[in-house]
Amino acid sequence: MSRVLLILLGLSLFAPGGARAGENMLRLPEEVRGWKADGPDKAFTRKTIFDYMDGGGEIYLAYDFQQLLAREYARPNAPRIAAEVYQMASSRDAYGVFTHDTDGQPVSVGQMALYSAGLLRFWKDRFFVRLQAEDETPEVKTALMTLGRQIASEIPQSGKTPSLLMALPSQGLIEPSVHYFHTSVSLNIHYFLDDSNLLDLNSRTEGILARYQQSSDKPYLLIVRYPKPRDARAAFEQFSRAYLRETPAGNAIFRKLEKGQFAGGRWEQGVLLLVFEAGSRASAEKLLELAASKMKGVTP
Amino acid sequence: MNPHDKFDRVTRRDFLRGAAYGSLGLAMGLEGLARAGQGSAFAAEKPLAEVVLVRHEAAVDAGHQVNSAVVVEMLNTAMKSFTGESEIAKAWQRYFRPEDNVGIKYTRCSWHRIHVNQAVLDAITERLISSGIARSRVAANDFGLPVKDCTALINVPTVKVHALTGIAVSIKNYINFTGNRSSYHFEGSSKLGETWLLPEVKGKTRLIVVDMLRPYFGPGPQINPLHQWDYKAILVGTDPVAIDTVCLSICQKKRNLFKGEEWPITPPPRSLAAADSLYHLGTSDPTQIKLTRLGWDKEPLI
Repeated sequence: MSRVLLILLGLSLFAPGGARAGENMLRLPEEVRGWKADGPDKAFTRKTIFDYMDGGGEIYLAYDFQQLLAREYARPNAPRIAAEVYQMASSRDAYGVFTHDTDGQPVSVGQMALYSAGLLRFWKDRFFVRLQAEDETPEVKTALMTLGRQIASEIPQSGKTPSLLMALPSQGLIEPSVHYFHTSVSLNIHYFLDDSNLLDLNSRTEGILARYQQSSDKPYLLIVRYPKPRDARAAFEQFSRAYLRETPAGNAIFRKLEKGQFAGGRWEQGVLLLVFEAGSRASAEKLLELAASKMKGVTP
Repeated sequence: MNPHDKFDRVTRRDFLRGAAYGSLGLAMGLEGLARAGQGSAFAAEKPLAEVVLVRHEAAVDAGHQVNSAVVVEMLNTAMKSFTGESEIAKAWQRYFRPEDNVGIKYTRCSWHRIHVNQAVLDAITERLISSGIARSRVAANDFGLPVKDCTALINVPTVKVHALTGIAVSIKNYINFTGNRSSYHFEGSSKLGETWLLPEVKGKTRLIVVDMLRPYFGPGPQINPLHQWDYKAILVGTDPVAIDTVCLSICQKKRNLFKGEEWPITPPPRSLAAADSLYHLGTSDPTQIKLTRLGWDKEPLI
């Protein structure tokens, strides 16, 4: 009988057993194209994630990580495969942690997937899945894709992407540059802004970072949604003073900075919109105007 | 005043203008930094620190397998160059005596992480023994190294760009000695240098041997194979800050090559700046470092 692993959503409980039990569960296959589960499965919670990933658990915790299931697969005379299934608190967070590293070739597994030289990553609903082989061979690649699709099929439903994505202007958007996050830990990996949380990001803020191709310029657009309008305003004022070194007169500000590039920002309601490395003030203003306009139709 | 306050509120602008974190921006070769009055990077005539970097084309094969014999040869070459000794045993005897209890602190982790290759550990162990130290006096470990009982340490790290620390090489390699690893990832990991000053650690590090056979330059924390490359190098030195600075520079150049544009290592390695200016473990100023490069010269990146 195949081994069944259960992830009971909302509970930190993994229950090995022989039968499918409970309506919310994820089953990992026992065998895929000759690769068999090898060694004990390992489960980790928010408290124990560092036992599995010292120096890296913070990245997952920043996306409201709930629990992890890790299993290895082995086949004689073939590279090993490590399977990691991360359960996050929401589909937005599963999407977010997927965008942590966007280098790879898009493939069709789950809701979004990337493949790169023996590594398959995908997300679906509240799950982010990493399947990594010790080395890449054609057989390994086939096994990874098969394993990924089998795991994805065990996740009964799709999840929503962050609504903030709707605020991104489409023209010139560099798709792999899109990162969704909550805290400055994540933002600073993709775009180091400062080392003291200048924007007051926290677990309740939602942010999206994207890059655009505008002629020879590649500006960054950063959108942050705060729980309260006053938080967005405070962050805007703090950003203006500490980063642009200017006191804002209204709800928008732009400045020419190093290398002749422009940065700026504006706030409206509970949303802060920032632009960096724009080629001109006009292009910075236009990008923010477009995003602000699209943001009006976005609900949390 | 908290000594870490000197690093408070450093913005991207401060860092890219070279107004923060000492000379790390220079080590990273970032565009737009003022260069006037500065010497050449890694070519100091009167260096505060010296680092030897040896590469060998055959150290790692096309299947990413490490050649143990070549690693031994590389380590011998590095040690002879670093010490100026023509005999390898004498080179090691400069740093270790027969009565020493030597701890080799390396990075151990599963195959799907960046770990020190066994060939490097074996080469170091054998060199210690052949230089006159009893096998029973050599301990190699990551967790559980009996550091209190060690009279000498060899720091043997890997090289990886790190999502929280900026870069993880020799300075971060001692984090396991603290017993509270996660706490050192706060404040931009700036306290990492403190691990070198723990009573049972301070003053014991005689040598640093870096396994840079297959370094990692991506955001991590796990491996994306696209971000790992066969650099095929071993580095030797005694200044952890200088060694880490050399590795930082190489990884930064590799990132730029990969993206085809400047892709700064982020967050900036605050721990490296603090290790220099706060903990005084060595120099992060590339103009004060002399790097000797030997061996394979394809895409040296420094």
